Amino acid sequence: MTMKVFISCDMEGTAGVCSWNQVDPSNAHEYPTYRRYMTQEVRAAIEGAREGGATDILVNDSHWSMHNLLFDELGADDGLRILSGAPKPRSMGQGLDGSFNGVFLTGYHAKAGDSAALAHTMTDLVYSVSVNGTPCSEALIFAALAGSYGVPVLLVTGDRTIVTEIAQFLPWAVGVAVKDSVGYTAVNSLTPKAAQDAIRAGAREAMARTGDAKPFTFDPPYELIVETAGVEHADMIELMPEFRRVGTRAVRFAANDYRTLLRAFIVATRIGAAANPRA
Amino acid sequence: MKLYISSDMEGVAGVCSWEQVDARTPHPEYAIYRKYYTHEVCSAIEGARAAGVGDVLVNDSHGPMRNLVLDDIPADVRVLFGNRKPYSMVQDADPSFGGAFFVGYHGAIGDADAVLCHTYTPSVIYDVSINGVRCSEATLNAALLGHVGVPVLLVTGDRTTVEGVREQMPWVQGVVVKESIGTFAATSLTPAAAQRAIRDGARAAIENAPAAKPFRFDSPVQLEITLAKTEQADLVEMIPGFARMGPRAVRFEHVDYPVVFRAFVATWRLGALA
Repeated sequence: MTMKVFISCDMEGTAGVCSWNQVDPSNAHEYPTYRRYMTQEVRAAIEGAREGGATDILVNDSHWSMHNLLFDELGADDGLRILSGAPKPRSMGQGLDGSFNGVFLTGYHAKAGDSAALAHTMTDLVYSVSVNGTPCSEALIFAALAGSYGVPVLLVTGDRTIVTEIAQFLPWAVGVAVKDSVGYTAVNSLTPKAAQDAIRAGAREAMARTGDAKPFTFDPPYELIVETAGVEHADMIELMPEFRRVGTRAVRFAANDYRTLLRAFIVATRIGAAANPRA
Repeated sequence: MKLYISSDMEGVAGVCSWEQVDARTPHPEYAIYRKYYTHEVCSAIEGARAAGVGDVLVNDSHGPMRNLVLDDIPADVRVLFGNRKPYSMVQDADPSFGGAFFVGYHGAIGDADAVLCHTYTPSVIYDVSINGVRCSEATLNAALLGHVGVPVLLVTGDRTTVEGVREQMPWVQGVVVKESIGTFAATSLTPAAAQRAIRDGARAAIENAPAAKPFRFDSPVQLEITLAKTEQADLVEMIPGFARMGPRAVRFEHVDYPVVFRAFVATWRLGALA
């Protein structure tokens, strides 16, 4: 019997990470170390999934330019595929479909506005995002994408803020808090080794819960509100068809289909970057 | 009568290279040609005023859109300055204007013998057509003005540009200030002669205004864009309502032309980020 697991791996929620320097691929000093820890946490999740019965695993590298994972550290595994590179139209949720039995979100972080290490939602231009009035983290947004295919989230790893938030919406998911945030650029963390052990155990436990886990969905019709950091970002987003300006720094998009809504959110986060005040 | 002027720089007399019109990396040449550009705009205003025009709005529509030497502009016109306007080269067009001038315009991307031909963003837009008609900036902008009932009365630029506009809008007065030889050379009038010709053309354009018609596309409006690169189409395809028609081709349709125009602006803004 096949048991397919989708893993979306981010980096800011990796044990020890407390600064953008550690997760910025252009940083030759710190990034190589933390990219290895990120990879090792993903490997721990894979091993736990395997121990719990997973036969096929797709890992979607979901951080920054999305080619962070060190293949040599992932081990030889015939049932493992890696989705690398960016941009992808569904970004951190690329590759998801109804064939998966469950989703792991590893290395995830708190949403923009939370008092937590490196808290953000997709890009700096997002001041906040909500769906149907619910403020969303990246984890919740992509949990709902999985939910649109009837696939439940089974595991979330990251700092305690995101793990606690997700537990409110997805009480069936196993949460592994590898660190507690002390503001935006400090964390009280497990060591990488201890975090990896906890993630392996959490992943194994998560696989045992597939029977109880439920797909997470918002109720249609869907309404997206994006508050932007600057007026200039909303100016750019408003150019696109079907986006409506609902404030000087806020746009709205509505859809009957969640995947359409997600696509609109992704493109909004991209076009906002065209608002370069120096040009 | 109230006049709308959209002024670009590539179609100014003497201009034949990007350095002359590059405001972003301050080049000594730019300082010279922005003067000529300003003076061509002033000539258009003088001609229009000689024919009875009162209020004038000049939308500086080149590059960062703050090129006009303001000291040289008549004190009683209004100037639309600055970039990232949702309607770009035709921002603030409304039915209160009796007509519009396109000064210093240039050929569409892909045109032969059209100095510095491009359509908005040449690194992104390989080709654009609406309802099957290949479009230049002049076409796209004329249709937005036409949507609010404002006809184009005057176009100045090289011969390819002027003839291209007159083919679509035969009522437009054309002033040819140069003959292009390929993309980076032109046989040009001197700036002084070009300015005289523009002044005369502007006066004639206002006098001929009663014969001019707003230019419009039939609704629904079908926008077809070929991008320069596939990675740009990857991003642009994500704009709500867009359909991917080929590796480098997208399509969008809407009943309302201003929505289409903004979708086009969104296309090159987003595509430039790929």
